[in-house]
Amino acid sequence: MKPSNALREDLREDLRHTPEGAYAPHYFKFIGLRQDPNAAPQRIRANMLYSLFSAPKPRILAHELITGNGHCLFVKEEEKQLKYAEHMVGMLGRRHFGTNNDHYAPDYRVILSKGVGGLIDDVDRSLERHAHDGKRVETLKDMRITLEGFTAMIAHYADAADALIGDPAYDGERLAFIRGNCRALLDGAPRHFAEALQLVWFCHTAFLMEGRYAMALARIDQYLWPFYKKDVEDGIITREFAVELLENVFIKLLGDVVNICVGGTAPDGSCAVNELSYCVVEAVKNCNIPGPNLSARIRSDTPDDFLIECLKSIGTGLGYPALMNDEVNIPGLSRYGYAREDVYNYSMVGCIENFITGKQPPWVDDRFNTPLFLDYVFNNGMSQSTASCGLALGEAESITTMEQFMKNFEAQLDWGVSEYCLRIHNRTDLLSQEAVNEPFLSCFCYDCIGRGMDINNGGALYPSVHGACAMGVGTVADSLAAVEKVVFIDHEATLAELRDALNANFEGYEELREKLLAAPKYGNGDDFVDKYAVWFLDYINACFSRHHTRDGGPYYVLMAANTANISAGQEVNATPDGRLRGESLSDAASPTHGRDHLGATVALRSVSKPDYTKSAGGTVVNQKFSPSAFQGDRLRALAALIRVYFKNGGQELQMNATSREVLVDAMDHPENYRDLVVRVSGFSAYYVTLGRDVQYDILSRSQQE
Amino acid sequence: MLLNISNVQHFSLGDGPGIRTTIFFKGCPLRCPWCHNPETISPQPAQLFYKATGKREVRGMSVECEALLPELLADRDYFAESGGGVTLSGGEVMLQSEGAAQLASLLCREGISVYVDTAGYVPYANFERMNPYTDTYLYDFKTASETLMRTVIGGDLSRITDNLRRLLADGKSVRIRIPLIPGFNTDDESVDGICRALGGMGIGAVDLLPFHRLGSGKYEAMGLTYAYAATQPLRGEPLDALRRRFERDFTVRVEQ
Repeated sequence: MKPSNALREDLREDLRHTPEGAYAPHYFKFIGLRQDPNAAPQRIRANMLYSLFSAPKPRILAHELITGNGHCLFVKEEEKQLKYAEHMVGMLGRRHFGTNNDHYAPDYRVILSKGVGGLIDDVDRSLERHAHDGKRVETLKDMRITLEGFTAMIAHYADAADALIGDPAYDGERLAFIRGNCRALLDGAPRHFAEALQLVWFCHTAFLMEGRYAMALARIDQYLWPFYKKDVEDGIITREFAVELLENVFIKLLGDVVNICVGGTAPDGSCAVNELSYCVVEAVKNCNIPGPNLSARIRSDTPDDFLIECLKSIGTGLGYPALMNDEVNIPGLSRYGYAREDVYNYSMVGCIENFITGKQPPWVDDRFNTPLFLDYVFNNGMSQSTASCGLALGEAESITTMEQFMKNFEAQLDWGVSEYCLRIHNRTDLLSQEAVNEPFLSCFCYDCIGRGMDINNGGALYPSVHGACAMGVGTVADSLAAVEKVVFIDHEATLAELRDALNANFEGYEELREKLLAAPKYGNGDDFVDKYAVWFLDYINACFSRHHTRDGGPYYVLMAANTANISAGQEVNATPDGRLRGESLSDAASPTHGRDHLGATVALRSVSKPDYTKSAGGTVVNQKFSPSAFQGDRLRALAALIRVYFKNGGQELQMNATSREVLVDAMDHPENYRDLVVRVSGFSAYYVTLGRDVQYDILSRSQQE
Repeated sequence: MLLNISNVQHFSLGDGPGIRTTIFFKGCPLRCPWCHNPETISPQPAQLFYKATGKREVRGMSVECEALLPELLADRDYFAESGGGVTLSGGEVMLQSEGAAQLASLLCREGISVYVDTAGYVPYANFERMNPYTDTYLYDFKTASETLMRTVIGGDLSRITDNLRRLLADGKSVRIRIPLIPGFNTDDESVDGICRALGGMGIGAVDLLPFHRLGSGKYEAMGLTYAYAATQPLRGEPLDALRRRFERDFTVRVEQ
């Protein structure tokens, strides 16, 4: 089959035209629900998945090569009927993000090596082994039912492709291709690249039909590599066609957060980058949509040209891949006793969360609002901005040294961490781990089949982890530095005066606020403040390491929280760094926005100081660059920037080329972009200080590039 | 020795190879009306007030070479990995050749590459001071017309071309940079003149710096009128045509 660049866009158009009727997965689940009302709840769930997979009529899109999509779940039915089904299915209850439902990375190597049939054989062998144990037998039967449903789904797609051949709206060659791939998957393990990719996509589609999101495709360049290599050697596919097939899958990820991991470390410890790693980066770049959330695991021996290809993709304005430092993540994850080969095989789920691929229950995280605890230090344990309270350790007047201040703050945090864990435990305990089973997902987690146990009830090799996102490192570090400088070194104000100023949101204390703002800020290479960022991670990790999830797994610390720094900031009183009440906190692991004004080398020098092996869940450091930084031989300089940052212990870098959209938005909302700098040779200027006509100059410059 | 500088800019990608830290020196003997760094022209501190953001800046400070050094050395890993270093720019660095030479010698001792961005309008003795410590000169060549140099820029072309010749004769590495300024040096006659002059000196490669007016915000912030505020930036076909013309005689790189 000949590759065609247009296919990707045509398929995108196909996806826009959803079928008539309503999107109603519950309608199909309801069929299974009714099958045996007296069955155990676990069996009812298995029956629901069987009908969910096997009952819908597949809808093959005209421009697909790899088929499978949610269009099959649209039904034309009476609204009342659908509502009733939704009500009945809903009554059964289900897991959500907070209760280990999604954000999971299957180890697709397993199913690719044996096919769906092979997986069913594994279940049958385990059934024999556990024949004496009724509970395990039932659990395994539940899994088997869902795999049978999944098999039926593949068969339906094969038949649907077959039936469409001859339809003038379709390309017969493409339909034959789809039919062939589907039938091959019914016969056994996939033998070719397209079959393997089709199988992975069917699995992913089934997870989506179940109602999951943020399911990772994990290390696609690794598990598809043997198929790609063989097919290319045998002349069955070209590189170009492989990229097209990948695009065909990636274009369908629009609107989801599907982490795709490339590069990293091979089982023998060597660099894992291969030809397919490049293909994946290229396909994601070509699709140019949010959804495929590409992560590149980088090591010091990752080839330069691979890093450059990653940077070219980032520089399109797409911002992907996020760059991850294997040499921090591997030691970080190794703290928790995972087998070495499992650590090497880690991937990311959701945005950046480190995950032991296919061997632990789905990821859960929540936000730990660190700056909130400053308020308790100043106000004897009482928050001024929320209904929360901390420890009553005395009024601000009683704190006379920076050491005392830190001791108080540490006590508040330690207490806050245990409260946080209690809350997480309560949430987990609300749900019966036994009753709310995940029979299909369990088939994709080692060693659920072997043990005959559910993924969330003892089946996974490793226990569940919880990621605590420690918010506001910049806000906290800047605040502590400002307290030390202004109160305890310069004696410009007493701690009680500072408390009054904070509680008045600086109204009437403008002069004091100026002094606080002038204190050293995180991100400018100054140890006076950077030491507090180092302390932040050390201390919070130490607090969390005293706690365990309900099944005995660790609490990881993360320094990443999407845009939650905005909502978390709304809960926090004014802070000693000069931040006003309700303003955003610093974002993820980055310095406070706009305060790292000395340039990327200096910002990254600060940011690489904390020991990120103590943030095993992952961090996000956002850095914006001019589009011109991604041009020509400047890419080599950018690559060097990353090399040094990673050598110095940086964990993650999310680079963004200041996109056209940002520049346009900044013209209309200059207040949000006060620190946006544009650079050219021998020159830099604040974008929003330029006249509109000159801003247009820059805009058209970015368009050219 | 004290240096009079405007500011230090880390992570500069356009002022020589690799990742560089650029130091902008204060004071310039020339008055190019299109200058994009007006705050560096006067040796006196410049006050900038940006109306749009309420931001105030003072550009101008005296700093000891030794005091500047730690900040420059802090990026040495980045320099080494990228083949970068420090660039002295301005303003006109060469007006402060004694201080600049001292700074450059300290950097040389640390094994850090020093580039100097200059318009060349100083006595050659100043270059002789800098030469031992300068890796490469980024040498501005704005016009081959003595009249334009005298009347528009306020300089003496023969001194600039003599210095360039002597640098080449002394075996210094020089990269010629030509700012392309519409209405000043982009007409055929001007370009031919520049090509002839440079070709006659055996120059093989030039960097072209197309005009932009991004400096206009700084003029406004200093309360000054920018003569080039209404001039459109050079790009597209007119820029391509100029590039092709220069490519007849030189290896050309367009710096953005």
